[in-house]
Amino acid sequence: MVGLSHKSAPIAVRERVALSGDALRDAVAGLRAMEEVSEAMVVSTCNRVEAYVVASAPEAARRFFLDRAAEAAGHLYESHGHEAIRHLFRVAASLDSMVLGEQQILGQVKEAYGVASAAQAAGAFMSRLCNRAFATAKRVRNETEIGRGASSVSQVAVELVQKIFGDLKGRAILLVGAGKMGALSAKALGELGADRVLVTNRSFEKGLQLAQQVGGQAQPWEQLTQLLTVADVVLVSTGAPSYVITRDLAVLAMRGRKQRSMCFIDVAVPRNVDPACGDLPNVYAYDIDDLQKVVQETRQARAEEAIRAEAIVEAEMMAFTRERETRAALPVLASLRQRAEAIARAEAERTLSLVGGKLDEKGRKSVEAMAQAIVNKLLHGPTARLKEAAAQGDSSLPGAAAELFGIEEEPQAGRGEKRGAEVVALSEHKR
Amino acid sequence: MSIQVLRLAALLYAGAAAAYVVFFARPRHVRAATIGGALLAVAFLVHAIGIGLGCKEFGGTEFFTQRGSLVLLGWLLAGAYLVMQRLYGLPTVGAFVTPLVLVVLVPTLFGQPGQSEVDPDFIRSRWLLQAHIAVAVLGVALFAIAALVAVMYLLQEREVKGKHFGALFSRLPSLESLDRLNQRLVRAGFLVFTVALLAGTLVASQVWKRAWEWDPQQVRALLVWILYGALVQVRHLGWHGRRFALMTIAGFALLVGSWAALGAFPGATRHGGTYQ
Repeated sequence: MVGLSHKSAPIAVRERVALSGDALRDAVAGLRAMEEVSEAMVVSTCNRVEAYVVASAPEAARRFFLDRAAEAAGHLYESHGHEAIRHLFRVAASLDSMVLGEQQILGQVKEAYGVASAAQAAGAFMSRLCNRAFATAKRVRNETEIGRGASSVSQVAVELVQKIFGDLKGRAILLVGAGKMGALSAKALGELGADRVLVTNRSFEKGLQLAQQVGGQAQPWEQLTQLLTVADVVLVSTGAPSYVITRDLAVLAMRGRKQRSMCFIDVAVPRNVDPACGDLPNVYAYDIDDLQKVVQETRQARAEEAIRAEAIVEAEMMAFTRERETRAALPVLASLRQRAEAIARAEAERTLSLVGGKLDEKGRKSVEAMAQAIVNKLLHGPTARLKEAAAQGDSSLPGAAAELFGIEEEPQAGRGEKRGAEVVALSEHKR
Repeated sequence: MSIQVLRLAALLYAGAAAAYVVFFARPRHVRAATIGGALLAVAFLVHAIGIGLGCKEFGGTEFFTQRGSLVLLGWLLAGAYLVMQRLYGLPTVGAFVTPLVLVVLVPTLFGQPGQSEVDPDFIRSRWLLQAHIAVAVLGVALFAIAALVAVMYLLQEREVKGKHFGALFSRLPSLESLDRLNQRLVRAGFLVFTVALLAGTLVASQVWKRAWEWDPQQVRALLVWILYGALVQVRHLGWHGRRFALMTIAGFALLVGSWAALGAFPGATRHGGTYQ
């Protein structure tokens, strides 16, 4: 695996190598077409671009980046074997994300795998690897609380509004002022399905602009009081140095709306909503500190959960590599057993054809059983030792066994995969 | 015989309550809520069999004792909740209602069921009286659930207003849905209670020969009816949320308080007695 991410490279470099859509598919196909590459997948999101390859030489993946942008050279990290597997598992489980525990990354990795299979760049190994990565991510999500809580201010706003109103069907959001935070939160609240987004700003021009941005209707500033009787969620982010929403205004608005609940979210500094508004019945008022406090708590809780998540990733990674290596030893084991059983059967038949006439049904069965038992006993030790050697990454013993017993090795798909994922760790930028 | 069946029902209710509480504590275990719902439905059916057997044993007179009315109340609580969950979801409410069913039912499971002095033939001959009892208890059940939902509302409001976004905050439903559910329950309860009052008045006019007697029971019922009626009306005047929740709880407190007061003075009312 070779790649760069928000941890190693600035956005200027990431955007040079990021790919999507058809360009991504062509790039993956191109990577796969390289001589030393047998399987390939490219994960490309706004925070990371990583190429996963099963290859005889890692240079191929490196070239993939350098061909796109020479300046990527200083920002690439690289890992092999165990390290690469662990990296993919951590990425899918959102342990390597900018916002720990965010949910999109798993979908993005799934998409990357989908693109790779569509481009016929992902083979049997990549398929097993990715499925294990998805399963690991799912385990992490289910067994830890890493995805719990709101991790951004606008997400906290969404959660709050949800706990007050449920969804926003048939309701209106009012955006007061043209601050960036307000617009962001308004967009996030869009997912709750508000019927109308109203925008009002001291300068109507700017209000119009913002309204276009968030898909709302601009309203004149003078109508603020009336607007407050209509809107259920009010996002306030003006540059005003004092309260735009005073307690008196809120009382007036509540009278106008027959005491139906309303929620003020004040993301302005200095504050634009008098905190005393929150003392009125059915009025809920929050300022940026309230929201940020929740974000902090979430981050802390997630960081604690990450420790448990890392343990799951480690366990899954170990299990996966063990399985993979056992699998590599399996062909030798299988042919060894096959051959031994064929010999046992033939010998049993020969014996039975000589003395079978003198034996009853029970006797014949015992002869067959004896031959089988000899095979089992004889192969028990070698089987266990071969599996053990394979699990420890020792590929010399299966080879020796094959030679010793005269088993011919057919060229296997598994051979290439093994070399590509050789267990050497090399990671420049993580240190 | 019927008491054994009721004990089995109580056991099933306990299972349902446990499942609902587990779901409340660990919302990720959605299956717990499903199990709770299934157990509750089975308990409801077993409870129905228990009531049927009880009617055979006592000829319907048991509903004129405190014990009998509790058995009926528990059953209707469970039934009303099952219907409510079908219509509006919100399985978290189950964590509050199912324990209440147990609280209502458990005192009836021990000791000898006391015999009422009412003549079974008298009851059997008056379907209106039977309807009055069933409908009145259903009304009480609906008001009880409404009061629980109001308590949930107040708990959640405290979280939301007080900016504690902790465990309760994430587990309780939204204020809006609790408020709306509360309103629906109060409305339905008021409707049912009105029917019960009309039926009761008719029975009184037949048996007592006068519809209105200033009997303490009648006064009490009228007060409760007026209070909930007012609650249905003030909704239009902007009584939402907190105030509505407080009023719902106050209404139920009046209902239970006056019932306890009447129970403390036996003989104060002719209601539910021998009607002679």
